[in-house]
Amino acid sequence: MSCGKIHIHMTKISTSDFKKGIFILFKNENYQIVESTHVNPGKGSAFVRVRLKSLKRGNVEEFTYKSGETVEEIPIETREMQYIYKENEKYVFMDPKSYEQYSLSKEILGEQAGYLKEGNVYQILVNNEEPLSIRFPKKVTFKVVEAGEGARGNTVSSGAKKSVKLENGMSVEVPLFIKDGEMVVVDTETGTYVERG
Amino acid sequence: MKTWKKLKENPKLWDRYFVREKVLRETRNFFLKEGFHEVETPLLNPALPPESYLEVFETELIFRDKTRRRAFLTASPEMSLKKLLAAGIGDCFEICKSFRNQEDRSLLHNPEFTMIEWYRVNADYRKVMEDVENWIYYLAANPDIQCHCESDVTSDEAIPSGLPRHFVPRNDKLQNSGILTYKNKTLDLTPPWERISIKESFQKYAGLDLDSHFDLEKMKKAAKKKGYKVENNTWEELFNQIFLNEIEPHLGNEGKPTIIYDYPKDMAALAKLKKSDPNYAERFEFYLFGIELGDAYTELTDWKEQEERFKNEVQLRKKLGKIEFDYDRDFIEALKSGLPDCSGIAVGLDRLIMILANADNVADTLFFPAVELFS
Repeated sequence: MSCGKIHIHMTKISTSDFKKGIFILFKNENYQIVESTHVNPGKGSAFVRVRLKSLKRGNVEEFTYKSGETVEEIPIETREMQYIYKENEKYVFMDPKSYEQYSLSKEILGEQAGYLKEGNVYQILVNNEEPLSIRFPKKVTFKVVEAGEGARGNTVSSGAKKSVKLENGMSVEVPLFIKDGEMVVVDTETGTYVERG
Repeated sequence: MKTWKKLKENPKLWDRYFVREKVLRETRNFFLKEGFHEVETPLLNPALPPESYLEVFETELIFRDKTRRRAFLTASPEMSLKKLLAAGIGDCFEICKSFRNQEDRSLLHNPEFTMIEWYRVNADYRKVMEDVENWIYYLAANPDIQCHCESDVTSDEAIPSGLPRHFVPRNDKLQNSGILTYKNKTLDLTPPWERISIKESFQKYAGLDLDSHFDLEKMKKAAKKKGYKVENNTWEELFNQIFLNEIEPHLGNEGKPTIIYDYPKDMAALAKLKKSDPNYAERFEFYLFGIELGDAYTELTDWKEQEERFKNEVQLRKKLGKIEFDYDRDFIEALKSGLPDCSGIAVGLDRLIMILANADNVADTLFFPAVELFS
């Protein structure tokens, strides 16, 4: 396993540097940008609408910046860590090199916590020895444990869907042809079915 | 997946896209019944209104004899329509494509978008407010603008017989009464809508008396107290920070659509000043579900002031590093010849269609969204 710093930035950034996934200081707290849209209203100066996830509470807030305003970016390094267990609403990871343990709260992980598999290695985003968030692979594969009935006569192109239960307890909408025991690929950002695994 | 492929795979999606043709058709019907002329003006123009903050699409017109002329795709039909008003056409409207360059890659904005602009002569902005209320009510209460609006993720949610998911009858007898539901929020579109002045909205939602904050330093103090960054900000930028964060989220979100009117005069340079309070100008915007849909003015008819404004904007564009072009002298000529008292509005139809189709974003109502074409 390798670990180490991927990049270190200047901490002052402008709204034109905003992109999904970066971490900034907002009202003196840590937030992650979920969405950022630059708006030219036509009449008047431009602005930038952002949706920010609070790393403390896990909720998403909206704010509108003046275009060009500067904010503090929180420098992040990525470390690979193994997920070991869940304890008291916290998810505990271990750095396989130093054996040091770090934990992320259920507020930070939200529904994505369902994608964790014990023993697997994940990228943990760390600032100043404090874990802030996790970067999941874009796609993960799970086994279907309860597929239910697919309607008869439906073909691949009909577009009809049904809800199935996965081995991790999550439910996902899949095409009718998916059966018990099959593997399916799920998009970790949207929680939607991608393809057969 | 490209939209045409999605449609081929799931024909239930067509309904959502057909909302557009219905809105266009019924909008034309509405304004024609009101006695308006529908006009067409050029998309390709030798000059555009200089608007400092917008970037334009520039191209080149080449004649057979190799004469070359700079040409621009229109950002708004306003100047052409006002020339026609000066010529005496009377009440008129245009539905056309407009273009803006250098916008964010976004599902909510398309670099070419569909706009309606209409003008009423011998009328002020109050008449246009009524037009807006009546037109949108007419669209929403029209039983033909009905869409079950399948989302891309198929859901088996039962739809009550014959009723579109987003129109809920007020009672069993009144179908399509103008109650509009968008993303689980509901608005009653029956006129009159909520009307609130900018001044009232600052008092109500931001606890700020605007009249005593026209001074930049006073505004800075108030904004700083609220926690905004105030260094190097203009008055307009401070105004916007408070407006966008504290006021706008309430607009068109509390049971009725909202018409917000009477802007500080510096934020409505092409609008007539209010006779009763010249600190404010006769401009309004309207909102459904917190989404801004249109911008209206009692139009400035003074050609000198208009020309002054254009010159400033040309300078400002230069300073901001935007594509430079001269303003349209022919337009000033038309104003000089006499623009009748009139009031007009520009409304982005894509967002309205998005709401009526109960779609998450504008791209989901376009067969060929730019994000898909230029991905």
